[in-house]
Amino acid sequence: MIRSYALAPLRCVALALLAVLGCVAMLPLMTAVGAVVTYPYVLQLVRRMAGLSRRLASAWGGVRIDPPYRAGPAPAPARRPDGWYELDGQLYKTQRYPAFFLRMKWLGDDPASARDWTWLVLLAPLGGVVVLLAPALVVAGLLLVASVTAPGRRALAATGLTDLVTWPDVVVPGWAVAAAGVGAVAIGVLAGPALLRLHGRWARVWLGDPYLNWWQRSGIGAWLRRGGHDAWKAALLLGLSLTGFAVFLLTLLLTLVSGGFGIAWLAYAIRPMVNHYRRLCVEWGGGAPLPEPYRQREDVSEPGPDGRYRAGRTLYATRDGARRAGFFPWVLGDPATWRDLAWMATAPLTALPAVVPGALIGIGYFGLFWQVVFWPLWAVPLGLITGWWVSPWYIWQLFTLGMPAADAVPGWVSVPIGLALGLLGVLLARPVLRVITGWARLLLSPSRSARLTERVEHLAQTRRDAVDAQSAELRRIERDLHDGAQARLVAVGLSLGTVEQLMDRDPAAARALLAQARETSAAALAELRDLVRGIHPPVLAERGLADAVRALALDAALPVDVRADLPGQPPSPVATAAYFAVAEALANAARHAQASRVGVDIRHTRGLLRVTVTDDGRGGAEPSYGGGLHGLRRRLATFDGTLALHSPPGGPTVLTLEIPCALSSPRTSTC
Amino acid sequence: MRVVLAEDLYLLREGLVRLLEAHDCTVVAAVETGPDLLDALLTHRPDVAVVDVRLPPTNTDEGLQAALTARRQVPGLPVLVLSQHVEQLYARELLADGTGGIGYLLKDRVFNADQFLDAVRRVAGGGTAMDPEVIAKLLQQPTRNVPLARLTAREREVLELMAEGRSNAAIGQRLFLSDSAVGKHTASIFGKLDLAPSDDDNRRVLAVLAYLGAG
Repeated sequence: MIRSYALAPLRCVALALLAVLGCVAMLPLMTAVGAVVTYPYVLQLVRRMAGLSRRLASAWGGVRIDPPYRAGPAPAPARRPDGWYELDGQLYKTQRYPAFFLRMKWLGDDPASARDWTWLVLLAPLGGVVVLLAPALVVAGLLLVASVTAPGRRALAATGLTDLVTWPDVVVPGWAVAAAGVGAVAIGVLAGPALLRLHGRWARVWLGDPYLNWWQRSGIGAWLRRGGHDAWKAALLLGLSLTGFAVFLLTLLLTLVSGGFGIAWLAYAIRPMVNHYRRLCVEWGGGAPLPEPYRQREDVSEPGPDGRYRAGRTLYATRDGARRAGFFPWVLGDPATWRDLAWMATAPLTALPAVVPGALIGIGYFGLFWQVVFWPLWAVPLGLITGWWVSPWYIWQLFTLGMPAADAVPGWVSVPIGLALGLLGVLLARPVLRVITGWARLLLSPSRSARLTERVEHLAQTRRDAVDAQSAELRRIERDLHDGAQARLVAVGLSLGTVEQLMDRDPAAARALLAQARETSAAALAELRDLVRGIHPPVLAERGLADAVRALALDAALPVDVRADLPGQPPSPVATAAYFAVAEALANAARHAQASRVGVDIRHTRGLLRVTVTDDGRGGAEPSYGGGLHGLRRRLATFDGTLALHSPPGGPTVLTLEIPCALSSPRTSTC
Repeated sequence: MRVVLAEDLYLLREGLVRLLEAHDCTVVAAVETGPDLLDALLTHRPDVAVVDVRLPPTNTDEGLQAALTARRQVPGLPVLVLSQHVEQLYARELLADGTGGIGYLLKDRVFNADQFLDAVRRVAGGGTAMDPEVIAKLLQQPTRNVPLARLTAREREVLELMAEGRSNAAIGQRLFLSDSAVGKHTASIFGKLDLAPSDDDNRRVLAVLAYLGAG
């Protein structure tokens, strides 16, 4: 107890020294990170240093911090039969490089790594400054006490320290100075453990599991981060739209030089960028997907009787010529081209406000607020060494240079102003992003006729698929019947005919044949039963979707929980498609996912039948696996249904299918 | 034995009537729709009802629903359900009230008249007759029934037959075992599945099915 109080000021000094050491060590370490080879080793070293902080927080501050690192790295790839090692489609001769890359990815992807850095560069020194309070009080107190005694005063005068301070002209009795000194020492000693604990908590906020501290739990941190990201995205979109504007100007120039040809070439060349912009708008601005609105390029028609190819009103000798000539009407006749150009001409105008949140956050938060935080780290050593003291409000002064009115405002006001500006920037980021993506949506989304064309193409495709699938299904049924039940019934008929003849002459043989005929008919029945199950499960006809899925769940190899909330029945083809999708998902969960439980949820909301199949397996399922999902997707597309597979490595796998449909015959499902 | 028969296919209905009449049964009513079946069951209170799952007018599981409704009003009313396909779901719903007198067979089983009539008599006597396919499906899920994995191959065979509703003597005949050997196996099965032994055939089957169904 006494020992811990006595040691506390020393420990505080040690923590402060360690913080300085860590901060100083960062410079070479950051350089080393740049050289790729040393990257993992540096991160490992940083982890060790953060680990030391964790251990000290536990030993001295009594605050336990569990390392928040992700498990890893992923096991190195196994040797292939041909002797190589594969990682992400790349082959390596030895296991060393894949293992290195995996290690790098593991260390680099972990958000805790970034927090370790922040801690060492910035936050540990901040904590160190606070923690120094205890030893500073003790030293100051000792100096005060020493200044009362004659030898002490002489020694102090000899150091020349007293000349640094201008003492006020008040006569304080010696005993009061001594008492104040003793008091300072006592406070310093008593506050030591508390400060160490405080430091431990401070360390836990940054070095522990981020979800354990209130800042992350409250969601404020996430909200601020999102605002910052939005500001950044808006700035990026501004950059892209400026590129678009440059292309627009170039188009104008080329139009003067080469007429319509220039427009066609440039508008065609810029399409990938505009498409990228479309994707970013959906990804960042949300909302429905923005499909590419461009028309399909039509093939060159077959040559006429004279062997020439026609494009528009011109005849060409070769197919290539006609194709090249068809390029211009194709691009220029597409309204989407002109809408693209209109967007390029106007986008910078709507994107310009993106400057505002970025500037507010940059100047306010990173400038005016962080200037104070950084100040002790560079200005204090600089001042101590060169004697040239920079004001803590240096950025504020930079901005108000030449504004005499600003001198009337005390410098510290810049810090709250900075925070307020940063907050304003965060608040503005989302609306600004909305405006930018909204304008893009207006001009870059397909026009009504383009959408209808797209829809017609989609319907034609799915109808073709449906017809194909149906005829394939009919062929399969025909084959099954022909080779199975039909053949067996022929055999039964033959046996019965023979029995008729044998009945009088050889009753024993007739009986044996009859037994055989009975067995054959039973086999035919079993085959028909399987066939029927594959076409339209009888339980689906008898009980509807919810109970059919329950029956399926009972027959599954895994325990399956079925939850169904269906006030009526979906149309029969939709129910059948959903049923087979669930059957496929359950089979996959049992076969590939190594799952131990599966949950099936069926509900109908706002005109949409939604079925979710969740398993707790190992995840990592590819949408292409088995090809079964592809078939299901095609089957669902006929009803405008969608199928989404979400399966991160490590699970859980969630398969969601949605089919727009109305429910009929309000027959409540039995729960 | 007085029988009520519900079957919508004329040929099969007539065939069943002939088969039952030939084996000392009186078919008091042979109906073809769900509502008629419910009426017949409640007015005639037969010794056993032979019911097709799918009946007009809706051609859904009307027969099953009529049988279940009748059994709610007349607990223990013996019903033998016939179907073109078997579902664990239906087996469970039939057995749910735990009063016995339940049969659930594929329609194919009527091919073998002796076995079919044996099942009819067992159900009429308050016992059970489960189709081997239902039992096979239940037993195919070892991962869902951990205790099942503890059974030996022979014990599984015994359990299968037991679950179909067969007596110890019948099991012995089927597997060429002595009565005492079958008794030993059943005791061992009960032990491994943590079931209290009981002399009552019906309760025994229900317990086994309930246990299997719990997975």
